[in-house]
Amino acid sequence: MLSRTAFSAVRPALARAYSSTAAAATPNGLRLLFSAPHEAFYNNVEVSQVNIPAVSGVMGILANHVPYITELRPGTVEVIALDKSVTKYFVSGGFAVMNHDSSLNVTAVEAVNFDDIDIDLAKANLATASKALADATDDESKVRAEIDVEVFKAIITSTTGSTSV
Amino acid sequence: MFPTFANSARRMTVSGLSNGVTTNSAVATVVKREMATLKDLKLRINATTNISKITKSMQMIASTKLSRAQREMVTARKHGASLLSFYKNAETQTAQGGEGKTLYIAVSSDKGLCGGCHSYVSRFVRDQLKAEENPANADVVVLGDKARAQLTRFAPSNMTLSFNHLGSKPPTFYEASLIASEILKLPNEYKSIKLVYNRFQSAIAYETGFFPIHTPQELAQSAKINAYEVEDDAMQSLYEFNLTNAIFCAMIDGYASETSAKMSAMDNATKNAGELIGKLTIVYNRSRQAAITTELVDIITGASAL
Repeated sequence: MLSRTAFSAVRPALARAYSSTAAAATPNGLRLLFSAPHEAFYNNVEVSQVNIPAVSGVMGILANHVPYITELRPGTVEVIALDKSVTKYFVSGGFAVMNHDSSLNVTAVEAVNFDDIDIDLAKANLATASKALADATDDESKVRAEIDVEVFKAIITSTTGSTSV
Repeated sequence: MFPTFANSARRMTVSGLSNGVTTNSAVATVVKREMATLKDLKLRINATTNISKITKSMQMIASTKLSRAQREMVTARKHGASLLSFYKNAETQTAQGGEGKTLYIAVSSDKGLCGGCHSYVSRFVRDQLKAEENPANADVVVLGDKARAQLTRFAPSNMTLSFNHLGSKPPTFYEASLIASEILKLPNEYKSIKLVYNRFQSAIAYETGFFPIHTPQELAQSAKINAYEVEDDAMQSLYEFNLTNAIFCAMIDGYASETSAKMSAMDNATKNAGELIGKLTIVYNRSRQAAITTELVDIITGASAL
């Protein structure tokens, strides 16, 4: 089976190799292990598709995807269950490892379900973080503020669906 | 002859109880000594009762904490499972022999009163160090004051880094990432990392062993690693992230084991205190009876002499 990858962000097309090991290992679907340190969302659950915010762009992962390792940027992890219902989570960063036995491990530093996000609080925090970034004097506080701004912007854009903040 | 009998019985209780503290005052009058012994006994019974109350409440606290620790551990294990499945799929092996240093990370905490759970970790590390071909080629990083004290005795020259202020609260990912970033700052390149921790098995059992974590070197030598498509320099970041996760999982597991060990240690302490109280009470009643007998004998002897 050819590896199937859907990109929604601009990304150079990579030549994808035929993954013989993947096809041979398991004939069944994509098994997802999605966890943050304090909560495990999916523990080896079979799903139909997972969209992850890789650093190079959003990737859609289906069963028998070629083995792949990527870092995640702050963004949305979309899990499409076997019954096509979509659950969205916000992740602050982490890693996704696609193994050749068709298991996908998404390990996040922090992850929350979209339903649990208070958008007003996120906007208020973004304002605070932007102010901190403007006021930052040394490198460390600047980098910290930059990370905060990036994360809060991502929370707002991904939950509201708007690109302008 | 009766007074002598009472006297010897009393001596026996005295030496048996307070390690002969009062035997030095054998010149004191009989009545006074009797009172002192009874008072001493009463004090000891009270003290032991207080201790047993403390150990009992510590046990209760530990058992409350245990259910939370266990819950967190179950989640953390799922989080850690991704590491295991990655290493399994990549067929990563621990580097055997060869050049390079080995890093040991011993996971313990600052808190005692939990049986031997910290000693197991430090002894495990010590045995591993002994088994090394060249023990000087190993660095030891210790989490928690308890194992640090022991390992500083066992292997002072291998000690590289230690962390404390751990163990009064459940470990957090933030703590783990601070620790991991300090470890990553170490100047040496390690051929392998051995993370030693107590793996929780049940409320009454845990075992000391390694948590799987591999260095970038080991990962690069894995049989199936080339099958993976890797973005840019994700490998180094992945290693740093995995190290943090591994330390976090090991700390969470260690915390659960420690809490369970504390629970059973305190349970035993309470039982022992209860036993001691029972024994002391018997001795107390016996010597009180002996004192009464002595007084009766005195009265009767006096009456019959008339």
